[in-house]
Amino acid sequence: MGDKFTGAELLIKALIDQGVDTVFGYPGGSIINVYDEMYKYEDRLKHVLVRHEQGAIHAAQGYARASSRPGVVIVTSGPGATNVITGVADAMVDSTPVVIITGQVSNDALGTDAFQEADVVGMTGPIDKWTCQIRRPEDVAPMVAKAFYIATTGRPGPVVLDFTKDAQRGLAEYKYTRCDFIRSYVPVPKPDMSAIDEAVRMINAAERPFVVYGQGVVLSHAEEALKAFLKKGGIPAGSTMLGLSALPSDFPYYMGMVGMHGNLAPNLMTQHCDLLIAVGMRFSDRVTGIVSEYAKEAKKIHIDIDETEIGKIVPVDLGLLGDAAEVLTLLTERMNFSFHDEWAVSARASNEVEDRKVIAPEVRPQEGPLKMGETVDVVIEGSGGEAVIVTDVGQNQLMGARYSRFRHTRSFITSGGLGTMGFGLPAAIGAKTACPEREVCLFVGDGGIQMTLQELGTILQEHTAVKIVLLNNNWLGNVRQWQELFFGKRYSQTRMLNPDYSLIARAYGIRYRAVDTREELREAVREMLDSQEAFLLDAHVVEEGMVYPMTPVGKRLDQIMLNEKEWYSDGE
Amino acid sequence: MGSDKLYIISVYSENQVGLLSSISNIFTRRNINIESLTVFPSEFPGVHHFTFRVFTDERSASQVVKFIEKKVDVLRAFWFECDEMNASEHETVSAFITGRTIN
Repeated sequence: MGDKFTGAELLIKALIDQGVDTVFGYPGGSIINVYDEMYKYEDRLKHVLVRHEQGAIHAAQGYARASSRPGVVIVTSGPGATNVITGVADAMVDSTPVVIITGQVSNDALGTDAFQEADVVGMTGPIDKWTCQIRRPEDVAPMVAKAFYIATTGRPGPVVLDFTKDAQRGLAEYKYTRCDFIRSYVPVPKPDMSAIDEAVRMINAAERPFVVYGQGVVLSHAEEALKAFLKKGGIPAGSTMLGLSALPSDFPYYMGMVGMHGNLAPNLMTQHCDLLIAVGMRFSDRVTGIVSEYAKEAKKIHIDIDETEIGKIVPVDLGLLGDAAEVLTLLTERMNFSFHDEWAVSARASNEVEDRKVIAPEVRPQEGPLKMGETVDVVIEGSGGEAVIVTDVGQNQLMGARYSRFRHTRSFITSGGLGTMGFGLPAAIGAKTACPEREVCLFVGDGGIQMTLQELGTILQEHTAVKIVLLNNNWLGNVRQWQELFFGKRYSQTRMLNPDYSLIARAYGIRYRAVDTREELREAVREMLDSQEAFLLDAHVVEEGMVYPMTPVGKRLDQIMLNEKEWYSDGE
Repeated sequence: MGSDKLYIISVYSENQVGLLSSISNIFTRRNINIESLTVFPSEFPGVHHFTFRVFTDERSASQVVKFIEKKVDVLRAFWFECDEMNASEHETVSAFITGRTIN
């Protein structure tokens, strides 16, 4: 007979054997046994104590996105579990590997409305990749192994382990074996070689091919495979918001970001290409504009690891099911060397229009109040494109996405599919925890920062040196923009009174500087970037700022507002 | 909707607590009513067989099946019109299970 351990200790041992060295969490009555065992493993398992469970899961998401290692969350039952729900849904739609351990009441109290009991299995099942309730200590190690296998393979996602008191307190022997097989689960489908051959024929025959790639490229570590594919085929490419940084911003075939607030060139190329190759992306409505008009001139190939994505939104001529790196490599090996320089050059003509009508007034204004875009630009320039950029949701996110430049992959972390305000601050803490050697800059609005403001306490306790750039305009800016454009300037509940952030920063011992003018912006950003500690840069930006260009809902991707008065007309 | 017909969605899964509720959520999320539901042990040891009868259209039926198959504990799922017989179901699941056994 081997030694026996409590289920709570088995969990800690299994996490360590799985390679976990950091968890984000918050203790409580139904998880107290796990925290008790954690006490003696302090030297091997770092626990980041957040201030609200939502902060724990967003931090774990930021950790996973920055590092490619799964994020781990430990919270208690009932409210602890319900507080992570937003992050579970967010991680699911943004394919982020996170393992969440929720405490649960004892087995005989299940279903009795016991104190802090909630139906976690029932609530998380529809919004996560896998949920399992652990009711016996001997199931702890195998279920942890299974959870990590499921969370990190195929299309990654969140996995919830609901850990009852009996399983925590009971005793069992310890043996940990990593999981690499589940009968009912085929994470990486083998590419269909006849479909590969068909794709190669389509690519070789195309005159105006165009690639739109998403986060799938990052998740499958396909960055180099994508570069090789684009170079050999001479194919220009645009990125979705979650694909940003997969290619360096100065990569010759990179045309910019697609979608509602994307760059002109890649959106126009989407509409004019004769072959659209979608790689690891899911045709979000923020990417496609009106779906019935999307890329109408093009035959379409969709490469994805998730079969439900193929044909879900946009009917495609050819679906290539498989891992992006593997499929791209197979295609590159088989296709012809080619170039389509005229096609790319003609599309780049719109860059001049975008620069003159949109970028210049936003990024290089000569007078008037500070702009959001110029603030982002100065931060990016100051960090030399080396920083991990994290954003919240809204105008700060769109400006961060539009005006950030990247040299390395996994450098743009944002809440894409779910669009969770409050994501930014804890996600930045998670990213910095994962990559302490990298600069981590957060762009966040005055609305979003107040949704998870309490996580400044985590920064205080952990000395997490994140650089917070608050694009402060006293409005819920993106909703205000929609109200201005589409709701007759009826600013219903978007005016927002702010606290004095200098006092907030002081209360949490965080360095602070406010910046109001263009003249002091560079120096203020320099002070922030030079700081070895966390820093809150409170940028008082123009109140009624707008994010352009914009393809409004219900319009085609080539129907683009350049500003309040002008629409882009594509040579019509 | 005029094109709606009665479909049978047939699902083979591992026995996992909570799976039935998350599968039925796949229908409710798309506003598809479940007309009837049966759950029983399948002819394969340890494998459960669910059948749902639903009024929907062909595109929804095929999409729902893909989303059901995406569930980690689901082995295979099928859809067919209510008055059809799906004779190949048994062979397909049998071949899947044989192909997914570690030797």
